[in-house]
Amino acid sequence: MRPALFGRPGRTARFALVAGAAALVLSACGGGSGSANGKVTLTFLSHYGDEPMKGGISKLINEWNSSHPDVQVKQQTVKFDDLLTTLNVRQTGGRGADILSSYALWGGQLAANGVLDKPPADVAKDIAGNYSPAAAAAVTSGSGQVFGYPTEFNTYVLFYNKKLLADAGYTKPPSTWAELKDIAEKTTKKDSSGNYKVEGLSLIQDGDNQTAHPFLSLLNSTGSTFLKPGGESALDDNAKSVMQLESDLVKSGSTTTSIMPTKNFPSNGVAMAIQAGWWIGSLKTQMKGDYKNVGTAPVPGPEAGKKGSLAYAFFTGVNARSKHKQQAWQFLTWLNSNKNTQGVTEMGDFLATNGLIPPRKADADILGAKLQAADPNLTPIYQAADYAMAESNAANGYKAKTSLHNALDKILVNHAPVDRTFNDLIAEINRK
Amino acid sequence: MTGTYAAATRQASARQGAAAPPVAPRSRRLRRQGRAGYLFLAPSLLFFMVFLILPSLFAIFLSLSQWGGYDLTQIKFIGVKNYRDILNLHSTFVSPILVNTLVFAALSVILAVVGSLVVAQCIERLRFQGFWRFLYFLPVVATVVAVGNVWKMMYQPSGLINGILNLLHVNSIGFLSDPHEALPSVAVVQAWASIGAAVLILTAGIKAIDRTIYEAAEIDGANSWRTFWGITLPLLRPSLLFVFITQCIAGMQSFALIIVMTKDGGPANATNVAAFEMYQQAFRFGAWGTASAMAMVLFVIIFIITLIQLWISRRAGDDD
Repeated sequence: MRPALFGRPGRTARFALVAGAAALVLSACGGGSGSANGKVTLTFLSHYGDEPMKGGISKLINEWNSSHPDVQVKQQTVKFDDLLTTLNVRQTGGRGADILSSYALWGGQLAANGVLDKPPADVAKDIAGNYSPAAAAAVTSGSGQVFGYPTEFNTYVLFYNKKLLADAGYTKPPSTWAELKDIAEKTTKKDSSGNYKVEGLSLIQDGDNQTAHPFLSLLNSTGSTFLKPGGESALDDNAKSVMQLESDLVKSGSTTTSIMPTKNFPSNGVAMAIQAGWWIGSLKTQMKGDYKNVGTAPVPGPEAGKKGSLAYAFFTGVNARSKHKQQAWQFLTWLNSNKNTQGVTEMGDFLATNGLIPPRKADADILGAKLQAADPNLTPIYQAADYAMAESNAANGYKAKTSLHNALDKILVNHAPVDRTFNDLIAEINRK
Repeated sequence: MTGTYAAATRQASARQGAAAPPVAPRSRRLRRQGRAGYLFLAPSLLFFMVFLILPSLFAIFLSLSQWGGYDLTQIKFIGVKNYRDILNLHSTFVSPILVNTLVFAALSVILAVVGSLVVAQCIERLRFQGFWRFLYFLPVVATVVAVGNVWKMMYQPSGLINGILNLLHVNSIGFLSDPHEALPSVAVVQAWASIGAAVLILTAGIKAIDRTIYEAAEIDGANSWRTFWGITLPLLRPSLLFVFITQCIAGMQSFALIIVMTKDGGPANATNVAAFEMYQQAFRFGAWGTASAMAMVLFVIIFIITLIQLWISRRAGDDD
């Protein structure tokens, strides 16, 4: 009798099943932590893939690795634009890193899906007590869960070009919305074809959901907020008044979304812009001697004496599926509390060197004073940490923020009516 | 002709069946050969099962569930809620997203089909046809990222196209910043990038047309225009139908070009199409159920449009 092709089917099938299962198990083990000979290797996924952030964080990790031979940390980096997708895909495939760096806006989504481990009580207490209130709020969910240590922390202020304001007859930045509208209108200049030579006020920023952060900074100046802790809309009449302000500004031609402030402000093409504090470093590099014309001030409120700002943060947390959660928290505690000879944490020093506010209050007090003495433009940015509204991190926060951006785009680009856009936005957010 | 052949084959099989007595060893050999056949087919069947059937079934299941996308144990069955949420009049998925998708597909299909037809017809009359076909095929080889970025630069307020317009004393156009211009502007790029493949198919179709028909038309005194309308276009219908269907599907599934050129489907959702919204819902907002429901709706729409195209074509006699 002739033997059947490829041997007996039962044996072949069993071999295929075992091989497939082995491949799955091996691939699932590939991305996470490992341990051999009592040594633990933790993986740390972040978006610190470009200099100077990459070099700074690598220096800290190398320092830990040389002083903790039994717990080694291996860095894995992706671009910021790919960070959330990478977190998602790797976690689903069982290849999530032990330690995660994430934008706090995504924290609620990650926590709701069981990605984040709850920090030990001493870590949560340290964050709640020793960090800037806005930074701590940015990394704490509505239900009180702390996601991890706050890292990149920044606030929004009004950047203005002193020379352009002086040319229009103003010696001080605006301190009310009426002044803001007035100065924006007077500083706007167009050529005979209607092309902008100078945009009075920019209400957009680089990156994702360009219009959201300037709006939220203005919203904070009214005392109102964006989302309730559960993610429902908290938008009220004050929020509608901010939308109306933006609508008035675009109708008067004082603002446009076709000009990118990061490109045109350094070349004196934008008089005022609501931007995050990290921008100072870029402006110094791009403007060189002309940086002397740059001033910063709190984002004005509807009346004199009111001011607003949005604070955003990143955090480093531990994967709930990590096999070495305890070691991972040990590393993060060291990373965020190990002090250098100046008496500040090395993490705080690293963040401040890269134009960010050290989220730990003690670091900000020491480093902030030095940096502000060297550049007074940093003062409103550091001061905003005391009153800024933390960016919402509800599970639907990212979706709600995108809806807000689309609604503002309708106002700024399509000149859509404020009432209808506002009501549609609330309905869309509440549909979650 | 075909019917005669089929009848003859049936008769021959019937004769064979009647004449041959049942032979057990032959039957066993046939069964063994059948098993061998299936074994040879197994790799491709397995491939389709793993990468097509299973994901499709999983997507159908997800469209009836709520899932954040991180932990498979957290999938929660919720029935048709996702469909109710996306297919109501207040949903942004219906308007502007589905509307944008259909407009984008229609614009890119019309531009690509008309453009490729004109180019194919012109190439047919030129020397060095291979060179021209190669030239028009180049955008198909280029990555979408490169194509999108080059056109993005040309569309800038200070870019090449606005520069030419300004030279002609025409004000700059916000190709990608004006919500009325953005979608057509990206559709032009989609059509331009896909024209090469369509040109190849149409030139092959034109070459397959019997030359004697053209010679007869020439003897009858038909001019170029009349020849095109009366001969080329009707006889190209099968190739045109193929181009039409593939361009239509590509237009409705377009994603990469949108994300390269407008990044977030803006301005004001003007370039947000179904495929981009699915990506956004799944990978950004962690709403995999909603994204899967959108995918199912898009699948049904593409399926219906393809059926309509085939039906129209069959009514016109292309199935001959």
